[in-house]
Amino acid sequence: MDQDRVNQIIDKYKGKAGSVIQVLLEIQRENKWLPAEVLETVSEKLGVPLSRIQQIVTFYKAFSVAPKGRHEIHVCQGTACHVRGASRLLDKVEDLTGIKPGETSPDLKFSLKTVNCLGCCALGPVMEIDGKAHGKMAPSKTAEILRKYE
Amino acid sequence: MPRIKSPADLEQFRKELLSKADPNRPCIALCSGSACNASASAEVALALEEEIEKQGLRGSVDLRRTGCHGFCEKGPIIDIHPEGICYFNVAPEDVPEIISETIKNKKVVERLLYTDPATNEKIVYESEIPFYKNQERRVFQNNSKIDPKNIDDYIAVGGYSALAKALSNSTPEQVVDMVKASGLRGRGGAGFSTGKKWEFARSTPGDIKYVIVNADEGDPGAYMDRSLLEGNPHAVLEGLTIGAYAIGSHQGYIYVRQEYPLAVKNVTIAIKQAEEYGLLGKNILGSGFDFFVEVQQGAGAFVCGEETALLRSLEGKAGEPKARPPYPAVKGLWDRPTNINNVETWANIPLIINNGPDFFASIGTEGSKGTKIFSLVGKVNNTGLVEVPMGISLKDIIYKVGGGVPKGKKFKAVQTGGPSGGCIPAEYLGRGVDFDELAKVGAIMGSGGMIVMDEDTCMVDVARYFLSFLTDESCGKCVPCREGIRQMLKILTNITIGKGKMSDIDRLEKLARTTGAASLCALGKTAPSPVLSTLRYFRHEYEEHIKKHYCRAGVCKQLVKSPCQNSCPAGIDIPRYIRAIGDGKYGEAVAVIREKIPFPAICGYVCVHYCEAKCRRGELEEPIAIRELKRFAADHDNGQWKENVKVASPTGKKVAVIGSGPAGLTAAYYSAVLGHDVTVFEALPKAGGMMRVGIPTYRLPAEVLDKEIKEIENVGAKIKTNSRVESLDELFAQGYDAVFVGVGAHRGTNMGIEGETTPKIIDGIDFLRDVNLGKEVTVGDKVLVVGGGNVAIDASRTARRLKAKDVTIVYRRTRAEMPASKEEIDEALEEGVKIEYLATPTKAMKVDGKVQVELIRMALGEVDESGRRRPVPIAGSNFTGEYDLILKAIGQESLVPGTYGLVVEKGGRIKVDPETLATSRKGVYAGGDVVSGPASVIEAIAVGRQAAISIDKYLGGTGNIEEVLAPPEGAPAAFNLEEAEGEQFRPSIKMLPIDKRLKGYAQVVLGFDQKKAKKETARCLRCDLEKR
Repeated sequence: MDQDRVNQIIDKYKGKAGSVIQVLLEIQRENKWLPAEVLETVSEKLGVPLSRIQQIVTFYKAFSVAPKGRHEIHVCQGTACHVRGASRLLDKVEDLTGIKPGETSPDLKFSLKTVNCLGCCALGPVMEIDGKAHGKMAPSKTAEILRKYE
Repeated sequence: MPRIKSPADLEQFRKELLSKADPNRPCIALCSGSACNASASAEVALALEEEIEKQGLRGSVDLRRTGCHGFCEKGPIIDIHPEGICYFNVAPEDVPEIISETIKNKKVVERLLYTDPATNEKIVYESEIPFYKNQERRVFQNNSKIDPKNIDDYIAVGGYSALAKALSNSTPEQVVDMVKASGLRGRGGAGFSTGKKWEFARSTPGDIKYVIVNADEGDPGAYMDRSLLEGNPHAVLEGLTIGAYAIGSHQGYIYVRQEYPLAVKNVTIAIKQAEEYGLLGKNILGSGFDFFVEVQQGAGAFVCGEETALLRSLEGKAGEPKARPPYPAVKGLWDRPTNINNVETWANIPLIINNGPDFFASIGTEGSKGTKIFSLVGKVNNTGLVEVPMGISLKDIIYKVGGGVPKGKKFKAVQTGGPSGGCIPAEYLGRGVDFDELAKVGAIMGSGGMIVMDEDTCMVDVARYFLSFLTDESCGKCVPCREGIRQMLKILTNITIGKGKMSDIDRLEKLARTTGAASLCALGKTAPSPVLSTLRYFRHEYEEHIKKHYCRAGVCKQLVKSPCQNSCPAGIDIPRYIRAIGDGKYGEAVAVIREKIPFPAICGYVCVHYCEAKCRRGELEEPIAIRELKRFAADHDNGQWKENVKVASPTGKKVAVIGSGPAGLTAAYYSAVLGHDVTVFEALPKAGGMMRVGIPTYRLPAEVLDKEIKEIENVGAKIKTNSRVESLDELFAQGYDAVFVGVGAHRGTNMGIEGETTPKIIDGIDFLRDVNLGKEVTVGDKVLVVGGGNVAIDASRTARRLKAKDVTIVYRRTRAEMPASKEEIDEALEEGVKIEYLATPTKAMKVDGKVQVELIRMALGEVDESGRRRPVPIAGSNFTGEYDLILKAIGQESLVPGTYGLVVEKGGRIKVDPETLATSRKGVYAGGDVVSGPASVIEAIAVGRQAAISIDKYLGGTGNIEEVLAPPEGAPAAFNLEEAEGEQFRPSIKMLPIDKRLKGYAQVVLGFDQKKAKKETARCLRCDLEKR
């Protein structure tokens, strides 16, 4: 993450007591994860020991210290989606992104995950990107949808 | 806008706002809460703006994007004012019509209206929709009226008048007293008196004090606070400011989950606007009181809803709770006196100040005043947020407001209070909801989560789910919570995968007690509740998982091979035989079925098919026609199963079976296969029980029955007809070692009306018996059948076949509640049977050789404990009819001879141990209708299997009745996705033309041919192959 941007965020909250969580949240939101050097910067600039920052980022669920893609793709593998071709949809997504479920693409664009049932069986097969459900997916429509994400 | 400097200024400003507003000007209020946003509310808003512009209405219609209206199930929602028209599930495509029809022409767009599922009527106005009508909206009332991003909207509906009143008319102490007098208790769950809490914080010395809004709403399935903060943030701010004044605080914090971005956004905007108006900040309304508010976001930790953990988090630390005391009122944020209340509590404050504590306390119960917002979710028709007076019954919330359980499924429990709460079973649905009442039944009201569960919810899995949630969320600081929850989860997980032991239940209870007693904060203290409450009311489900590896709800994957097989009382491997039929191996299919039941053909003709109700294909289009396929296989059986039947060598033990119904014959079959010398005693001239005398031959041909009964004789069981057994002592004297009593329920239940004994009023079940046994029966022209079950339908169709011209069924509820199977109701209607719903006979008398019956109309009233609406007579709606014959079919009872010496319960039912079927007499077992009351063939078969097991064990055997009749199964062929793909419905089932049906007793359902059967098997989703 751009060092200047990190500094900007820190400055925005500087001087306010207990602001470290708010700073980390904002960085997490923009960068999708918290690289080690960013944690060091936050520690130095806010004067909070790195050990406490480590405690915070591992305590709260919102934080990730491993790289995550900017966009999270969930492909539903529930039965209803399955019979409507969810595995072929997954194959197509794997082809297009170059990653398997549980992986993040090297350019940090996508993370891919399979999920059991998203509860919208009537729309199967379903693919969810960043929480938005794309229903009645056909493998042929996949490329077009993924292109919309930068 | 200049700052508002005094209460008078505020009133003046409000007057100006109101005078500018034209009450007749159309206003479209579009719900823009989180749930509606997920269903395209933003797109609808855009379409509305465009369309208003396009149709030249700019400036003459208002568009208001409001907060949550509560009926999230039906979003996006639009209210059109001033008429109050309500549209649901609005899509962008609907917008042009809404503008041109409703706004311009003042016409209602019918298809967007709410349809009452009970009456199928369209409802135009919000105030008439049951979901809204049965609520009492006070805290929530402005959510659907105002734009949360516009402070003027809030001021126009009276906003900040409570603050003005408190600052100008009352001392801080008086404000505290008012809140105390109102009886308001904290809405976050613990229910501590808000006034007292304020008093503590006020009386603690200190110049710096803090007030905090706890908006870290984390219970799964609960979102009341989010909707308030999103939809009416100023109400929360106003309450908070009043509290700050009362306590003497000048700095407030709103601690809101970062997962609620819209709430963060709206409350941030609200703070800014309030500051600009002088309603926050320095010298508020010229009173000299200063108060500032900041928003802090939570970073995703459930435990931060606990107040001491929340404070640590606000201080920028990991949110681990601390021991109390000292309480936050003494030592809170940065060790200063601090008062924390949740969102809904704060939002109640302006109501108390504006209307007075007495008004507030005028509704609710003795110990719990005011209203409460619940998030009503799960297996309920009307999902959403509901505000109801404290003390309302669970039943009213779930059925009146919530519209009951969807798809006609059976209610099982309601879970209240989230992970800290418990599950409440149907028997307590009448309980009033408040802080104290629900605690008495092992649950809590909590912060307002209310999750409705139906028959498809597994209670062990529910407990496991909450504990897995809590394992993740336990902060780990104290051992009892961290380890206790983890160990309980481990045990629960073992139970759900079939590795549980009976001793686990005791261990769970012990762990639960220790965790509850020894944990530091409320998370751990209440964590055992989901376990304890499910154990309290659903212990049998735990035991079924442990002892029988059976999950009745079909949820626990490791125990459920497929939903269909799991729901079959006899446990037939349905996917396997469907597959065999698809492969053309009909003999193998029958062998698979015969491994569990001795009556494949009979079940193919008449089974009630619980399996089809659970079939996953049914969620897409229609369930697989499992029964029809079974019949097809049985009709094409090559008898290959016989090669593998192994009758054990004689054991020398004699077993007597009384009654040759499906339970008795099944017990006889397996007992004979195990080598016992079995004799079946049947009182009637023919064997088969209800299969013979209760089911008309046009549904179950006598030859089919004869053939399968013959197979039972072929394994050595003897059947003696015309042999009534009057005494069990005699049987034992004759050398029988064990007895199974399966005498069924062959006596019709009385209606209990005046003139019931009038000639020509007979039992439907007697009527069917006489017809099936070939007796001469005359019915006359006009027949009335009373009842709504299968006997009523069978009797009415039989009456039509006996040339009755006019056959009417009278049923006291509606078709939706009718217990008879849907197909048979349809077939009866096709055959000219009429059904009079919502009526019941009250009186009968003989008039000129006919029976004159007086009937009364019924209406569906309150929901009873069974979850069905109870029919109540409508006074003065009596009417009469004259009939040649009345057939009563409202239920059956058993008639067990007293000489049997068995303990008998209500309805003549024999009392047995539900697991072993052992009666009060040694060596005597009982099952079937005589124990359970009228049930189905497949249930009787399952009971017969259990009887054979118990009797064999009693006689010194192992009780192993499992048979391997089908050839070993090779690797199943790969699932042919292409065949199953796409929308596919059942192939049509060939039926006998109606004119031919009424000429006699020929089969009505003619079934599948080979081609259709194969096609139908291809629709099977093969749930049995799913990864586990």
